[in-house]
Amino acid sequence: MNKTLRLIHTMLKMQYSMAGKSTGEKLGYLFLLLFLVPFAFIFISLMNSIVATLYQQLAPTGNENALLGLLFVGITFILFFVSLSSILSSFYFAEDIEGFIPYPFHPYQLLAGKAAAPFISLYLTSGVLMVPILTLFGIHSGASFIYYLYAFILFIIFPVVPFTVVAIILMFFMRYANIAKNKDRTKVFAGLLSFVFIIGFNIIIRLNQDPGQTAEGAAALIQEQNGLLDLITGMVPTAYFSTMALNYARELSGLLFLLLMLAISTGAVLLFLLAGQKLYFKGILGLTAGSRKTFDPHKVTRKIKHQPVVAAMIKKELRIIFRTPTFFMQCVVQSLFAPVFLIVILLFESSSSSFSMLGTMLGQFQGKTSLLLLFVFSLFILGVNPASYSSISRDGRNWPANLYLPVHPEAVIFSKAATAWLINLLSILLLAIIGIAVLNMPPGLFALWVGLTLLASWFTSLVGTALDLNQPKLHWTDEQEVFKSRLISLFALLIEMGAFGFIVIIIWNIDAVEGLWMTALLLALLLAGAIAISHVVLKRLIRTHYHNTI
Amino acid sequence: MISINHVTKEFAGKTAVKNLDLVIPDGKIFGFLGPNGAGKSTTIKMITGILPIDNGTITVNGFDITREPMKAKKIFGYVPDSPDVFLRLKGIEYLNFIGDVYDLPRDIREEKIDYLTKSFGIYEALDDYIQTYSHGMRQKTVISGVLLHDPDVWILDEPLSGLDPKSSYTLKEMMREHAAKGNTVFFSTHVLEVVEQLCDEVAIINSGQLQFRGNMKEMKEQFEADENLERVFLELTNNE
Repeated sequence: MNKTLRLIHTMLKMQYSMAGKSTGEKLGYLFLLLFLVPFAFIFISLMNSIVATLYQQLAPTGNENALLGLLFVGITFILFFVSLSSILSSFYFAEDIEGFIPYPFHPYQLLAGKAAAPFISLYLTSGVLMVPILTLFGIHSGASFIYYLYAFILFIIFPVVPFTVVAIILMFFMRYANIAKNKDRTKVFAGLLSFVFIIGFNIIIRLNQDPGQTAEGAAALIQEQNGLLDLITGMVPTAYFSTMALNYARELSGLLFLLLMLAISTGAVLLFLLAGQKLYFKGILGLTAGSRKTFDPHKVTRKIKHQPVVAAMIKKELRIIFRTPTFFMQCVVQSLFAPVFLIVILLFESSSSSFSMLGTMLGQFQGKTSLLLLFVFSLFILGVNPASYSSISRDGRNWPANLYLPVHPEAVIFSKAATAWLINLLSILLLAIIGIAVLNMPPGLFALWVGLTLLASWFTSLVGTALDLNQPKLHWTDEQEVFKSRLISLFALLIEMGAFGFIVIIIWNIDAVEGLWMTALLLALLLAGAIAISHVVLKRLIRTHYHNTI
Repeated sequence: MISINHVTKEFAGKTAVKNLDLVIPDGKIFGFLGPNGAGKSTTIKMITGILPIDNGTITVNGFDITREPMKAKKIFGYVPDSPDVFLRLKGIEYLNFIGDVYDLPRDIREEKIDYLTKSFGIYEALDDYIQTYSHGMRQKTVISGVLLHDPDVWILDEPLSGLDPKSSYTLKEMMREHAAKGNTVFFSTHVLEVVEQLCDEVAIINSGQLQFRGNMKEMKEQFEADENLERVFLELTNNE
């Protein structure tokens, strides 16, 4: 046990240590915390009004516990999703496990250590909703001390079951998924799975949705006590048991439900460790990197070709992003997420004609309004471009190669920004397809919108690259660290929102600017100005930071 | 020729290299020795432009690495201490990338890749990812990349570590041939037998300062003739 705790401690320390973080970064976290304080107040008062309203609505029919049921069911689904990505990254994507395998640890000990980090993220996630809602519900229902004690215990044990279910499914999958014998491909495949999971979940919900029927059913159920709870928690027994434990906290049955939850959670932990002992090592050890194939000298010769150094640099960057599972997931898949999601929604909603009308509506708007709206919308969908703010950090220990090879620093940095721009092109392409095929946008508007989005994308690529060059994270042991626990995405978001917000507000408020073409021209000019400034800043950073990154 | 003139480098108040003055002449294999943390890698990183120099200058064949970095970098080839570079590329992609960086014409590139990778026995692995290579194969890939553009000055940080006897022999022969043609070969090592076999001259550095510079004969003459190199080294570096 001692050894297991030691292992958990070491693994957590490696993941969350502040060592090596600059004072600036630590100050940044402090500011973030301070920034969160007013936000938390707003959040809690919002929660309070929701809980109070629902409680008053449901209490007369004795259905107030449906609120708790809804919370536990919602939390279960959120935990499923968070577990999926955090288990994958901690159990399989993090390379550090290979460093622990040679030591005399049992698989279950390693598994317990590896589960610690995902569990922290699970508690943080569930805490955001569970702590305020359970407390507020307690206040509104005038609950006793035992309710709060039970609520605390449930907060601790509730994530165990969703976590175990996801972990066992994943371990089973990873144990047998390596038929391809290719570690990287398996990683990407597993990563894409979570992507498909969300989209698929969305589609299923949409397919099952029949608004009229659901409302009628709910109305009937609401007549009987606990009827709504049964409906909501029908598929998630632990949510039902937890709700009942809290609902009958003053009675013996409440205690029995709590004991049942404790028994289920203990069983889940044991099952998890047992399954881990059997499946986990085989899952990771089976992941051999690469495969031997027959060698073809002509294939090799064909790959030898002469190209300009910037093209070679961009090609190298793209290869590394697409071949490194973490980079691929963060830089490519995640940026495609919003556009793909949008397509799914649009395809399923197109029958209701509300979206197909959107294109016609855009045509009827003033040229200025529709262009500005579309521009803001596409920026919102494109987001902050992770490929740009990981430009330098992705190189990690390979970074010195940029310093000793005879490539001009500007060529290195601008080819990295260009790579980020090229990756964004995929999302822009998807947006363009939506614009033409689904929304039937007028061609003039469409062309201007795409052109401006391409310019804006170059600006975000430059800003992200500059931010990363300013404070790169090169000393990482696991690729996840390039993206995790860094404030850089927040800074990128603030700068980009600030710049674009400024530009759009200016144009929106100048009445002299009207019509599509004039708006586009002014937008393009302002964007060009922003791009010119970021070019200057980036070049300055290259002079001051390029050789001082190590 | 590499010329290191009164070079100093500090890290957070700690002096890693102190007023180092050293000339590595053409036509010789020059060994750079010192215990762990003596300042060898820091010196090599300053020569190659990886670390900025706090004080002093370094020139490679007359080009200042700080003032004319592109010209200096085109002249040398550098093998870093860790060969774990660009693991997600295939061997051939890495070599082709290096070829593009040095702007090598296609025919020369093809011929050199063929010759070097066959000499080191990695030709048939060229279409595999570097990640799947053993440490030695990665080392050979990096060395092949460095020799691709036929640099005048070779700078090698622990180049023989991880190489099998045959590849180690091949590389040593290549080093000898290169120096014999009047070029510079500068390498760091911990392995004293290699120094004894291979070096025309050596420099020993300890705590960032030069302890000795001269040829093998001079080094042994400074001490009792019957002492082996290991004892000489230990004595020079104060048995650290």
